[in-house]
Amino acid sequence: MDPAPAPYMIRISGHLGPTVLSAFPALAPQHHGAHTVLTGLLDQAALYGVLAEIEALGLDLLDIQKLTPDGKSPEPGDSRSQ
Amino acid sequence: MTVAPAAPRLIDRGDLVAALDRAAASKVTVISAPAGSGKTSLLRAWAGRPGQPRRLALVQVQRGQHDAQQFWLAVLGAVRHASATAGRAEPPAAAPDFNAPAMVDRVLSGLADAHGGVTLVIDDLHELHSPEAPAQLTRLLTNLPPNVHAILTTRHDMRLRLHQLRLAGELAEIRAADLRFTERETRELLDASGIALSDSGAALLHQRTEGWAAGLRLAALSLVGHPDPERFVAEFSGSDRTVAEYLIAEMLERQPPDVQDLLLRTSLLDQVNGELADLLTGRPGSEQILLALEDANAFVESLNPERTWFRYHHLFADLLRLELRRTLPAEIPALHRRAAGWFTQHGQVAEAIRHTQAAGDWPEAARLLADYSFSLTLDGQAQTMQALLRAFPAGADHPELAVVRAMGDLAQGRLDEAAAHLAVAETYAGTTPPGRQRRLQVAVASLKLSLARRRGHLAGVIEQARFLASPVTGPSEEDIALGSDLRAVALMNLGTAEAWSLGLPDAERHLREGAVLAREIGRPYLEVGCLAQLGFASIFHGAAMPKIQAFATTQQRCREAIALAERYGWGAEPVIAPALMTLAGTMVLLGEFDEGERWLRRTERALQTDTGPDIRLLLHQTAGMLHAGRGRHPEALEEFGAAEDLASQLEGSQALASQVTGWLLATQARLGRPGEARAALAALDDERASSGEIRNARAVICLAEGDPAGALGALHDVLDGTAPVLGYVTVVEAHLLAGLAHRELGDQRAANQAAERALALAESDRVVLPFAMTGSAGLLEALPRHQTAHAALLADILDVLHGSSPAAKEPSSSPPAEELSPGELKVLRYLPTNLSRPEIAGELSVSLNTVSTHLRSIYAKLQVRDRSSAVRRARELRLLAAGRTRWPRRSPDPGDPGSPARP
Repeated sequence: MDPAPAPYMIRISGHLGPTVLSAFPALAPQHHGAHTVLTGLLDQAALYGVLAEIEALGLDLLDIQKLTPDGKSPEPGDSRSQ
Repeated sequence: MTVAPAAPRLIDRGDLVAALDRAAASKVTVISAPAGSGKTSLLRAWAGRPGQPRRLALVQVQRGQHDAQQFWLAVLGAVRHASATAGRAEPPAAAPDFNAPAMVDRVLSGLADAHGGVTLVIDDLHELHSPEAPAQLTRLLTNLPPNVHAILTTRHDMRLRLHQLRLAGELAEIRAADLRFTERETRELLDASGIALSDSGAALLHQRTEGWAAGLRLAALSLVGHPDPERFVAEFSGSDRTVAEYLIAEMLERQPPDVQDLLLRTSLLDQVNGELADLLTGRPGSEQILLALEDANAFVESLNPERTWFRYHHLFADLLRLELRRTLPAEIPALHRRAAGWFTQHGQVAEAIRHTQAAGDWPEAARLLADYSFSLTLDGQAQTMQALLRAFPAGADHPELAVVRAMGDLAQGRLDEAAAHLAVAETYAGTTPPGRQRRLQVAVASLKLSLARRRGHLAGVIEQARFLASPVTGPSEEDIALGSDLRAVALMNLGTAEAWSLGLPDAERHLREGAVLAREIGRPYLEVGCLAQLGFASIFHGAAMPKIQAFATTQQRCREAIALAERYGWGAEPVIAPALMTLAGTMVLLGEFDEGERWLRRTERALQTDTGPDIRLLLHQTAGMLHAGRGRHPEALEEFGAAEDLASQLEGSQALASQVTGWLLATQARLGRPGEARAALAALDDERASSGEIRNARAVICLAEGDPAGALGALHDVLDGTAPVLGYVTVVEAHLLAGLAHRELGDQRAANQAAERALALAESDRVVLPFAMTGSAGLLEALPRHQTAHAALLADILDVLHGSSPAAKEPSSSPPAEELSPGELKVLRYLPTNLSRPEIAGELSVSLNTVSTHLRSIYAKLQVRDRSSAVRRARELRLLAAGRTRWPRRSPDPGDPGSPARP
């Protein structure tokens, strides 16, 4: 497992308001259409912490991507296939 | 105080309830769906529906439950409650040792006992964070008795291996899509709450919430009494905010300020009552608000029938907590501090420490955790304690915590780490003020004893730790209570260490004192622990001089300890293993091999989770004794060899080591390998070699080599009492070996004398094992009956040696005999001999008439007609031993550790 933090992009349905966003202090929010995209550097433990928060707050998780080091485009191939 | 003019009601989701009812016909039903999907509401509606025929065992998993034991105790409690067997036993109690497989067995047997079946319901299973719990739960779910069903709710799929149930069509699943409100149900919810909304408005609301139960309920809360519901729905639908966040903000805004304030400030508690809420808000009257909120169905539910404790729906609480952090961040540490104070006062230590940590008061949290570490362990919260320990920030140095870390290391057998942490704790204790210093020193000393015991290195530590026995004095009552827990643990550790190093009078005194103190302070686990070790303490040592009924006393102690352990459901836990083992060992010594084997099997089960070399050594030794007693020398050799290997893993000299080694060497010699035994003998140091047990082994080797004169030489110091021995059993053995040697040398008179001496020494306890181990049947048979004063014992021993063991059989179903007088007992003991009545009269120096009177009376009391049936009956009743009385047959059943004590 890669121990170094990596940039992640997490897409959630709906616009997260200030209250819910305060649950993700390490992530930068952006509104994309009807969705909120959270991005930030996360190691595995932080990533699972974010997923647990999403679960606890009843948010609708749409997509997670690990970004390549240049920070923008997803890795080639389906990033969700393990 | 009213919260809302009208309360939105749970609607009757009849189709969904019927779907769950159909699903619940399967063995296991899993309801797996995200937060706020209405899982718990569905369960409640299903459980409360009219004509619900099943008995339910309801378990609500505590938030963030790390302790598998706490979880299983809740399951067991719920099952016992549901099957109405609670009245038959103490409520399940926590223990520092926790044997999860045994606990699952107890739950299964509780379920099997429920007549007419029961449904086990486990809500919020995703909160269970114990890593070993899924495997145990899988075992429970795949082994449910007939007529028992289980329903689980969870936010995400769990690692339960239920594929076999799935293949068998015995697993039903209800998922998020099944739980969604239909448009019709949305309409019904609005109608039931008295909300007037157009059909298109209702459709819009349904579309916006996607039928998500929490969203609809939140919306209904805001819509009740709303001046313009259509506009509310339109604005909500136009908003991009997430459903929950939008709705909770709306709902809060519509509450009066004091209600908002209460909800926010108490959101950081997992459970809340009126007093705590008053404390956190600084205002009275909170209980009324909480009751009104529950009545309004506002994500608040009471946890007890008296409606004094409440919890918030988790999703709701999480959102409130975020809101609190956003709007009142500066107040949060003070709120946690106040909560911590309340929980400390009310003895909820783990909760108090959690809030102290949340307040960021790390040194105070470390102090609390160290002070209460013994209490938490005794309450069965060892895993919770380790979770609290992990919550301290990495790198921050809190030397108080070294004691806590050492406890965790010890519990998991990491002895080197435990020693390192204890060294840190000891250094730190030297720097603390006197009040705390004393308590820390006691904690450190007690743990050092426990560590030393596990390593088998006792003598030096005991000397250092004598001061444990004096009371801890403190200024306040709380300090005294803390000190009592600590002191009781210390007494148990001290007494146990002394028992293992043969410091018998001290061991007895300290263990007894520990047991009394434990009872006074309501710590049954410690009481059981002290009593179990007390039983063990007397197995060899108590018999150093053959007192009347030494083994009977030992057995009585063990049975009492076992009965107490069973009352609390610890009949198969490591804590009671010393008593189980001792009972097995004494049975074997008394020649009751079958009974001994049953207790030994039960000891093995109790030690499943304990791999300590100290206690395992005893297990192998006792198994070896059993095999040797039955003449199975190869098996005995294997067991004694395993015990010897473990003894070599222990540091320092083991008090019992000479016994194991002696029997190992003797067994080698008996199996025709005297050369091997002699080589091992030569390797022993002088101190070991001079012990009575090793001298006996040397004699066995000499006999195997055809050197009876050498055997007699080896035995000389044992027989004249100059060689140190573990107990008189060693001396019995020596007499028998001497008898065998005399026979070899052709001196039958000396052989008879030796046999008679062995019998005389064995009489008070009726010890049989040495006769069996040494192969003394021929020696005893050659002893003329009229030359022995122990004819009854002799007959019993020969019975055992020839494979029939009347003493071990269950007593016959005949009615109990009236008690015999001492005079009658004396006559009775001559009945198994072939002495005539005049000869018996001569032996006893009484008249023939007296003997005849006694005989008539014996026949009448035993309800028999002749001498041979009197002997048979007397053996059944175990009346033939000098000084022996009949056992009350209320002793526990060795095969059934899980069941509560029978009446």
